[in-house]
Amino acid sequence: MSSTTGQVIRCKAAVAWEAGRPLVIEEVEVAPPQKMEVRLKILFTSLCHTDLYFWEAKAQNSVFPRILGHEAAGIVESVGEGVTELAPGDHVLPVFTGECKQCAHCKSEESNMCTLLRINTERGVMLNDEQSRFSINGKPIYHFVGTSTFSEYTVVHVGCLAKINPLAPLDKVCILSCGISTGLGATLNVAKPTKGSSVAVFGLGAVGLAAAEGARLAGASRIIGVDLNSSRFEEAKKFGVSEFVNPKDYNKPVQEVIAEMTDGGVDRSVECTGNINAMISAFECVHDGWGVAVLVGVPHKDAVFKTHPMNVLNERTLKGTFFGNYKPRSDLPSVVEMYMNKELQLEKFITHEVPFAEINKAFDLMLKGEGLRCIIRMD
Amino acid sequence: MSATAGQVIRCKAAVAWEAGKPLVIEEVEVEPPQKMEVRLKILFTSLCHTDVCFWEAKGQTALFPRIYGHEAGGIVESVGEGVTDLQPGDHVLPVFTGECKECHHCKSSESNMCSLLRINTDRGVMISDGKTRFSKNGQPIYHFLGTSTFSEYTVTHVGCVAKINPAAPLDKVCLLSCGIATGLGATLNVAKPTKGSTVAIFGLGAVGLAAAEGARISGASRIIGVDLNANRFNEAKKFGVTEFVNPKDYDKPVQQVIAEMTDGGVDRSLECTGNVNLMISAFECVHDGWGVAVLVGVPNKDDAFKTHPINLLNERTLKGTFFGNYKPRSDIPSVVEKYMNKELELDKFITHQVSFSEINKAFDLMLGGQGLRCIIHMEN
Repeated sequence: MSSTTGQVIRCKAAVAWEAGRPLVIEEVEVAPPQKMEVRLKILFTSLCHTDLYFWEAKAQNSVFPRILGHEAAGIVESVGEGVTELAPGDHVLPVFTGECKQCAHCKSEESNMCTLLRINTERGVMLNDEQSRFSINGKPIYHFVGTSTFSEYTVVHVGCLAKINPLAPLDKVCILSCGISTGLGATLNVAKPTKGSSVAVFGLGAVGLAAAEGARLAGASRIIGVDLNSSRFEEAKKFGVSEFVNPKDYNKPVQEVIAEMTDGGVDRSVECTGNINAMISAFECVHDGWGVAVLVGVPHKDAVFKTHPMNVLNERTLKGTFFGNYKPRSDLPSVVEMYMNKELQLEKFITHEVPFAEINKAFDLMLKGEGLRCIIRMD
Repeated sequence: MSATAGQVIRCKAAVAWEAGKPLVIEEVEVEPPQKMEVRLKILFTSLCHTDVCFWEAKGQTALFPRIYGHEAGGIVESVGEGVTDLQPGDHVLPVFTGECKECHHCKSSESNMCSLLRINTDRGVMISDGKTRFSKNGQPIYHFLGTSTFSEYTVTHVGCVAKINPAAPLDKVCLLSCGIATGLGATLNVAKPTKGSTVAIFGLGAVGLAAAEGARISGASRIIGVDLNANRFNEAKKFGVTEFVNPKDYDKPVQQVIAEMTDGGVDRSLECTGNVNLMISAFECVHDGWGVAVLVGVPNKDDAFKTHPINLLNERTLKGTFFGNYKPRSDIPSVVEKYMNKELELDKFITHQVSFSEINKAFDLMLGGQGLRCIIHMEN
């Protein structure tokens, strides 16, 4: 039991007061965890594009003031009623989507889209009582995707926490609680390239490079990186990318370019931009007979995926993934182990580091398209 | 060696002289098989919708006169140079798509779309010399899909012939050389429903019912049949279909109707009509997280498959199949065995029988939307 158990904690949090305005480090009050909840001390967090998107809140129902952040690692401070799987001192990764272990999705071998705890970007309160655990002078500050990790302490549903190896360096494995797992799992769990196969990865940001890393681990013989930004190519080599295609360099559709490079098409493709045209290209560039395309990046809400039915009838498979098809509680600990046994490399994703007080620098870097992951140190 | 080996055979064939006109039984000459070809005596054949589509030749390059037919069972009469896998007397099913066993597709464990011998609806001649083996009074008559089974004798590439159990009744298993295998394989090889799962089948013609049969064999707990023609529902019960949805009965999209019936969506769906809107419905009616939709029916015009990307990102899978993903030579013999050991039922697909001279009745039945399969007996 920690000395703060059952009490309100006063700590620092980076509060987004308005859409698009720099976060402000404020002193907030964090209420104790209620039933099936856990209060965590966050040690390291990182910025993911999804935080940026909802912070900018363009054309969405904005919820402000809000504490963003969902890629992080921390230690359990105290647990609420009914929580048996976690205890104070446990090392955990909070995840923006959960696993209740009871619903049809959790019981399915395939799905990770828990009926109770799946990602909800609109909700800014806890499920138990539909209230926020954060406040400033009695005024609620809203949660974000059930994690709100831009705070020294946060409260999360127990189903949204992965208990991990306490030896794992939290400043590295924090990036597994979103983007890197999303890309890695898209390849390892969904595309499943066989040894020696060819893979095309669309989008060479952190998620795409994680997908490429997955293809490298799977023993792909060719990993073709597709990006409109040629300056990403050099970095991508560290992740196993062997060839590069910039669609801007060609007069024909990129799926044609890739098909010509690969005698009819790649064995697997993984689409990590969310651009609808790239999604269609990613599907149409896989080989007929056996090709599988996996969509990862999330498009804007009016996008329409369109293809000629013959492309499907010619035995191409089209799949989509969410969080790399990893079940957060059941599967993430083993991904941490892949890092611990040196199968998976994470350091190369971390290009910057800032202290919590300078969290807005992480936003600046991402807005400028610089770097891959910036670790924010809470202490 | 048969008595006719190496010689031209004169026999009867049902020739299509013009698009959409009744076939005429003619005496034709059938050349001996050349390199890698075999000449077959066809004993039974059946009409498949694809024959009708190309015979009608609406909006397609017309190639006439032509001998249609691609669903059949026969016996090898003679083989050409280089053929070692087959010999006279072998019982076979000719298939409209082949398996050379050498190309990447044939070597892949997944694909059945042989680079050399995959379906070609435009070609009316044999690959080895670009000529036809059929003629009448010196006038060439074109092949169809490399099979041309509406003839007492035909010549096919050896890669397009499946050698089967000689004890199998050819008047039943001839159906496995196209439609029934297509639907069955779509379910067993591609959709792969697990025991107790829920399956939706769009289109309750022969292919859809074969897909339903596959779901029945797999132990699906619910098989929901979707068809605009309520008359098909009764027949469909014989194939394991447990519930019926007629999209015309509802104001909302059929995928919504199905999702409501199944607590969020079916585990597997198979689309067996070729209608693009139904393809979209078949995809959108499977459950998020684990649902798989398989497209089987071929569209007859240029159209686009469209869906909101979130339907894919929510972990639905979209697949397409061709000939049920069966490799003709490697896999079809085992499908015949499924029939022989009574796992698979075929008799219920056969609703009509006619003699070869009455082959046009089979067309009438299909054009009238009647029945499932009509067996054409080549011998009286």
